[in-house]
Parts: sequence; C-alpha cells; structure tokens
Amino acid sequence: MQWIETEEVVRFNEVDEWGMAWYGNYMAWFEAGRMALLERFDLMPGQMVALGFIAPVIKLTCDYKKPAACGDHIVIRTTVVKPEIAALNFIFEIVLKTDRSLLARGETTQVLLTTDKKMIYRLSGELAGRVNKLVDYCCQA
Amino acid sequence: MRRKLETIVSDTKELRSFLKRMIVETLKLEDITAEDIDGDTPLFREGLGLDSIDALELVVAVEKHFDVIIEDENVGKEAFASVNVLAGFIQTEYKGFSKNGMRFAG
Repeated sequence: MQWIETEEVVRFNEVDEWGMAWYGNYMAWFEAGRMALLERFDLMPGQMVALGFIAPVIKLTCDYKKPAACGDHIVIRTTVVKPEIAALNFIFEIVLKTDRSLLARGETTQVLLTTDKKMIYRLSGELAGRVNKLVDYCCQA
Repeated sequence: MRRKLETIVSDTKELRSFLKRMIVETLKLEDITAEDIDGDTPLFREGLGLDSIDALELVVAVEKHFDVIIEDENVGKEAFASVNVLAGFIQTEYKGFSKNGMRFAG
C-alpha cells in the first residue's frame, strides 16, 4: 500500500482549553491529505466538476489515539483502498513527525454523483481512467 | 453453473426467492430474513429502508450473479422498486437467453 504524506504544524487556534488539538481539526487535516493525493491524479474537485461529477463524503470515521499539542509537527498519511462498489474510500493516518507515533486514524467514503446529482453505479470514461490510476498507485505492493 | 443460472432466471418464483436471499446476504441484514421480504415492498426508504450505498452494493451483486448491468440511479430507481420488479428487470436484461444460445455453447 502506497501512502502520500503531507505535513502540518498544529496552530495555537487549533487547540482546545485542555491544550489538545480540537477533535474537529482532524477532518481539516484529512482534507489536506486528500487534496495532496487527488492533485497527483487530476481529480481535484474542480477537475471532477469539469468531467461532470462531484464526490460528496457520505461516511466518516475517526479513531483518536493520542492528542496533538500546539506546535507539534504532524504528518498526514493518505491512501485509498480498492473499492468493491462505485465509491472512493480514503484512509488517513496522522502521526507525530518526531517519533511517528499514531495520533489518529480515519476513513471516509465518497459516492460519485453527476453534477445534476444523479448517483452513478459504475465508473466509465475519463473518470474511470483517473480513478483507476489513483487506486492502482495506492494499492501497489 | 450457467445452466443452473438459466433455470433460476427463467423461473420467476425461484428468481424472486434468490433475490431476497441475495439482498439479505449482500447487505448483511440482521433484523430481517429473506422470508420476511414481501415481493412488492419498496426496497428503499419507506419499504425495506435501504439507502443509496445499499443500492451500490446490490448493483455489484446483480452484476456478479447475473451479468446484468445497472448503470446509474435513473435505471436503479426503476429496477430496485421491489423484489418483483427487480426480478422482471433481470429477466428482461439477462443476456443468457440469446436466440442462438451461443452463450451456453459447450
């Protein structure tokens, strides 16, 4: 499995009263990881729309393992798993840069709709080509 | 195997039972058995309560078992109206019943 890595620093405005990164911020970090991966395969949201598709997230899970603190350098690791259905399944791991300890692990599921909001059940054409390249890259040994 | 599939598709009653079992198994339904499903009950929302992700999984199951393709939501809305409607859809779309029988040759 191949992962893309993106770095962030936990900002002062991202920590809560207890000095820990607020739980909702992890979603924004996942999104940074997702963008870094999608950009490589010409699947950025605007590029998807140009092909006539959108990919809304319909499921999100996140396991919090260890809190991040203000100033921590974190690495967002992102990959996709081979889907059995016409959907995109991203996996994210957020690790501390210094010792690579796992802070959080999350997953999202995105379905594919046409821009007029009809769900597609099978990928075809240019979209299928780009998504297959993404999946092949991430699923390589 | 192919011969068996042809038998199932051509027997409406058997096909409907097969589809009920397929739905329960594919979606790992726990509170409902194949026997509980009424053939005319809508599969989605107010009926069995399935959602759009369930539809994606059923599309894969239908293609795997019958080699029948449900392209998108427009087709899916009609095909997944109920078990009985789905059975009719599969009987219409099933390519195994080609006139020259080439598909089953050998």
